[in-house]
Amino acid sequence: MFFEKMKVKKIILAAVTFIMIGVFSSCSEEKDNRKKITISWWGGESRHEATINAIKAFEEKNPDIKADVVFGAWDGWENSMTAAFYAGTHSDINQINTNWISEYGSEKELFLDLNSVSEHFDLSNYDKSSLEQCTLNGKLQAVPVSVTGRVFYWNKTTFEKAGLEIPSSLSELYNAGTVFRETLGDGYYPLVLGEYDRMVLMVYYLCSVYGEPWISDGKLNYTTAQIEEGMEFINSLEDGHVIPTIAEILGDGAVTFDKSPELISGKYAGIFEWDSASAKYARALEDGQELVAGDYFEDIGKYKGGFSKISVAFAISENTKYPEECARLLDFILNDPEGAVIMGTERGIPLSASARKACEGAGLLGGIEAMANSKVLEWSMFSLDVNFENPRLKVNPEGVYYDVFSGLSYGDYTTEEAAEMISDGFSDVLT
Amino acid sequence: MKRPSGPGLTGRGKYFRQKENEGLLFISLWLAGFIVFRLFPSVFSLVFSFSDFNLFGGIEKWGFMNYIGIAADKKITASFAVTVKYAAITVPLKLIAALLAALLLNHAVKGIGFFRTVFYIPTVLGSSVAIAILWKALFRDDGLVNQFLVLLGHEKISWLSDTGNALWVISFLRIWQFGSSMVVFLAALKAVPHELYEAAEIDGAGTIRKFFTITVPFLSPVIFYNMVTQTGLAFQEFNAPFVITQGGPRGSTTLISLLIYNIAFQEKNMGMACALTWVFFIVVSMIGALMFISQKYWVYYDGTPREEK
Repeated sequence: MFFEKMKVKKIILAAVTFIMIGVFSSCSEEKDNRKKITISWWGGESRHEATINAIKAFEEKNPDIKADVVFGAWDGWENSMTAAFYAGTHSDINQINTNWISEYGSEKELFLDLNSVSEHFDLSNYDKSSLEQCTLNGKLQAVPVSVTGRVFYWNKTTFEKAGLEIPSSLSELYNAGTVFRETLGDGYYPLVLGEYDRMVLMVYYLCSVYGEPWISDGKLNYTTAQIEEGMEFINSLEDGHVIPTIAEILGDGAVTFDKSPELISGKYAGIFEWDSASAKYARALEDGQELVAGDYFEDIGKYKGGFSKISVAFAISENTKYPEECARLLDFILNDPEGAVIMGTERGIPLSASARKACEGAGLLGGIEAMANSKVLEWSMFSLDVNFENPRLKVNPEGVYYDVFSGLSYGDYTTEEAAEMISDGFSDVLT
Repeated sequence: MKRPSGPGLTGRGKYFRQKENEGLLFISLWLAGFIVFRLFPSVFSLVFSFSDFNLFGGIEKWGFMNYIGIAADKKITASFAVTVKYAAITVPLKLIAALLAALLLNHAVKGIGFFRTVFYIPTVLGSSVAIAILWKALFRDDGLVNQFLVLLGHEKISWLSDTGNALWVISFLRIWQFGSSMVVFLAALKAVPHELYEAAEIDGAGTIRKFFTITVPFLSPVIFYNMVTQTGLAFQEFNAPFVITQGGPRGSTTLISLLIYNIAFQEKNMGMACALTWVFFIVVSMIGALMFISQKYWVYYDGTPREEK
């Protein structure tokens, strides 16, 4: 009898619980019946702020849509996106690197063909060639945001402190290494390069000397001996006190250079970075310091060795319940004059014609990003092959670049071994 | 044991049968979670370990290639070595720290509750990413630890960038979190009969002699328990190297769990990651088995080693 009573009580309790859950969940649905979409991106603080503001402006204009945001720093971002893409838990709209299209989208149907939502997203703002770079299997898998290239940025204040002009040639850079050590101390360097930066600079160096694109027609154009020459160039920068060793950089404990106390305080007085990333470095510096875009060095070789690539792109998930709403949001932040001005140049100078016009009208193209971008576009002879950023080469710490350049800096590899590893790494990726 | 059933079931039997069903009902949620989130993934990982399963490329072939590849891959053997080294550093030092703290806190001092809480706080904070970030900041080249060393007249140490030191930074973090072992030691210390110490004192035994001949044997079951659990935790360590060093410099802190993660999600080689997980599971199980075998010789239950009972 007692147990029977207990059983009845339990059944009643369970029923009440389910009813309560049902009531509360239906209440919450009633409160917010907007169409919910999600958007993800990586970047620095200034990019986060601009994107969030643009999305808020979009929501105000489109009260039927609610856009939830997912964002973070680049470090570890690709790993989490890999898991999300595989599990299908990625956002409705994702900021991607263009190499992700082939890396993740070739086997799985991850991204929506943007041609299918062209009524809501104005594709006429983009030139054909940039859209082709985001096309795979006849589907426009993403919309490119900007074209970017690596460019030197110098902390003018630190150079002035050392009694130097910002370097405009390689010989001036070598000289700055010596002067920095003698006048400012061992902790000051005119340039700082992480492992991947070293790879990019080495390619710039070799392309300037030999005038060949790094990869063309699916083939690496440089021999092991030539790559070894590039490795020796990187070693010469360390030896000449131009760049700190990888050990010194790790000792700072910063995940990225814009978080490095040494860069923030001006002890590291230069970076070789994407022009689209200039804002986060400019903002990172302590008050009273000035970051300026530098020139490419003409004394490396007789060729213009710079290269450019699509900086980032936005893709809509194939799984999204609201493709039209996603397209409208993208159109607002990438094409609409109001949205484009709020987004500014946080992802580089916009490729979208209407966005560029709006930014120009708002006086946003006179800053460091625009100057850096014009240098890139003027100097770049080559486009960066998507395989250059293949995760097997690029990821930290398992990628080839990280192993090779940290090993070279730590003295674990000779330049010959390092060159062979780079060559083998590309053979592996390109076959 | 055979369940009582049939028409002959007594009222008492019915009671227990009902209780049994209630028990099953209570654990059903846990059981469902275990089956979905532990058992199925484990079985799948065993199956996938015999494949070249790539996260985005699917499966093209089956076989033992991953298991053969593990022995030949220097990166993996190095990571195994680093993991064993990490456990060999962390577990003994953590147990020693916990035991010393427990001995200190076993005295009836005013405000002892406060001190016990303070010693336990790092354990509560321990597994958070925020603490790992803080730890990294402490051990930077110009972090608080080096500033303190300089104050003492010592030279700065490259904690995060020296391949010989980075593993210690991670070990220190986990050693610092000795609270849970300390609490277990503290409880065990309370159970040591005081008369034994008095008898030993009458026989002229000093503090150290009493510690090694009375305290340690009485604590040996608890030492064994702490050793087994802490070794298990040490072999599973992921957060600290992931946040603090990302496995660097030069792989000197790439513990096996971090390597498995990297192989799975950076290289996208899920087949190899699964195989590595199973090999690691077998190795850790063997270490655990060795510990259980060894207890016959040094763990005293009711005052005697298990094999003498």
